[in-house]
Amino acid sequence: MSVKVEVSEGGVPHDRIMAIGIVGSLVAIYLTYLNVLTGTQIFSFFGGIGAVFAIWWGTDSIKTLCSYGIGTGVPSAGMISLGSGVIAMLLATKLGVAAPIGLVIIAAVLGVILGFLSDKVLNMNIPVMIRQLTELTIVGALILLGFASMATGSFAFIDMITGTTTFFGIEIATYTYSLIGGSVIAVIFMLGGIAIQHPFNACLGPNESQDRTQMCAAECGFLSMIAVAVMSFAFLSVSAAILGLLVAFIGWIYTYNEYIKLSKRDAYDWLDAKPIREPKGGA
Amino acid sequence: MVENLVLGIGVTALAGALATVAGAAEDTESDIGSQGDPNSQVQLAPQMGYIHRIYNKAISGEPPAYGLWCALGAGIAWAFMAINLNAILALIVGAAVAVFVQGVYATTAYLGRTASLAKFEQPVYIDILKSVTTVTMAHAFVAIFTTISMCYLMVAALGHPFPLPLLGLVWGIALGAAGSATGNPFYGKERQYQEQKFGAGVPISASGNIVRYAEAGERSSLDNGWFTSKLGGPASGLCFGLIVFFELWRTVLFEPFAGGWGAVIAGVVVILIFMVIDRFVETWARTTFGPYTEVAAAEPEEAAS
Repeated sequence: MSVKVEVSEGGVPHDRIMAIGIVGSLVAIYLTYLNVLTGTQIFSFFGGIGAVFAIWWGTDSIKTLCSYGIGTGVPSAGMISLGSGVIAMLLATKLGVAAPIGLVIIAAVLGVILGFLSDKVLNMNIPVMIRQLTELTIVGALILLGFASMATGSFAFIDMITGTTTFFGIEIATYTYSLIGGSVIAVIFMLGGIAIQHPFNACLGPNESQDRTQMCAAECGFLSMIAVAVMSFAFLSVSAAILGLLVAFIGWIYTYNEYIKLSKRDAYDWLDAKPIREPKGGA
Repeated sequence: MVENLVLGIGVTALAGALATVAGAAEDTESDIGSQGDPNSQVQLAPQMGYIHRIYNKAISGEPPAYGLWCALGAGIAWAFMAINLNAILALIVGAAVAVFVQGVYATTAYLGRTASLAKFEQPVYIDILKSVTTVTMAHAFVAIFTTISMCYLMVAALGHPFPLPLLGLVWGIALGAAGSATGNPFYGKERQYQEQKFGAGVPISASGNIVRYAEAGERSSLDNGWFTSKLGGPASGLCFGLIVFFELWRTVLFEPFAGGWGAVIAGVVVILIFMVIDRFVETWARTTFGPYTEVAAAEPEEAAS
């Protein structure tokens, strides 16, 4: 892409977006613990909400990082975020109740190491590299944990590697039909990786505006949540999965409508079946 | 033993055929939507003063995008098979949900990119959004459904050890890479730059000067589908079909030899044979069509004098 990347000025500062993102994501992921406390599965959808918060925050991190002229690096930033995040996430799921908090610490340490390697050892020399890669690693790990806890109803490692299958009417425990054994985590990886990079990649250009990009981020988050909700039918009770699907759908319809409104506001013109209008300056 | 081998070869042929259809549909889909490397010129055109009516589907590169579509289709199919839904039905539902996600991503990409170009007076054409998105979705459905069906064949008939979603991810990335590498140059250079002399490349001064008007009226992205389905699409299909066919063929036939290493050696031999063929085709094409050889450069001078 030979596109000049320009970032909109003003708007909500990045630090505030980060604060809302990390607090919102952690609170929502912790709310899935209500499943354990109440012995049901209906609170699983909070995991997806946590992932949406993380995607919303990660979009602004990618925007900050990629404003240093990394045009084709926008999709790659999404991939490294989830790629490093999956390591932190898998390690953190062994920590029991402390998993979400532990995840942030492990991911931060990992992110600093990766940021140092790419900035100082590979000599990329981008001033915000270490900080943004740290943020993106935490974001990637939070997305994975959020969607994984939405699909399985828990953020414990043991629940992600065991599933049940019906064999001649008898329910048996199996590794094959689990989140990790069935590689559903690979799907979540791609859902998160594309969702986190798409909003800035889609909205970049001279007239990029922060509220539109962030609305697109929320829209991508809820869209991924719909997909995870459909897959959660394999792990959760039908009512819990349907509730998750419903919440995701309502969130997606609202954000998608708002995104179209904002695009209409920002567009030069909004035409239906009209010919090319040559610019006033001439081609 | 022989029956197993015959079944394996049959499944290999069927998977190769599915992959061929997938490759053709994938390249046609990405060209209609202007995804991949030709996208940069579509994005650049309004900035150079060329307002156009071409779709602008910027959803990362094709390999990661198709990695997601196929992994998602396979993941949903896997989930429904896990709750004992019929396999064919599960594959259809998986492909349908994946196509829904693809269509939504396509619309947000077009709206976002076009709205961000307001400074250059590029309007959003809603009729493009309505007519082109559905066509890319239809092609994407064919590409995703055939790819995940092929992956299911590998698991169910050939006993591949990977779970279905992981195979979907791997083969989705391979599909996107095959379409991006084989079909896109054809669309990018030969379709968008028909006003330039054949083989002239794209000089800086011609950047963004893409073909915007058709033989009659204005060019739509749907015309690119018609153009691609003639040569670029089938070429991508052939590429991806051969990749899948040789990959499975070498495993089915040669795995019993040397404790599994037979398949690895056969793979290396296939790659070497293709390198020789590629080199031959490249040198042949350059000497036959290339305008930059000394002989070809000398000819106009003779004609002038």
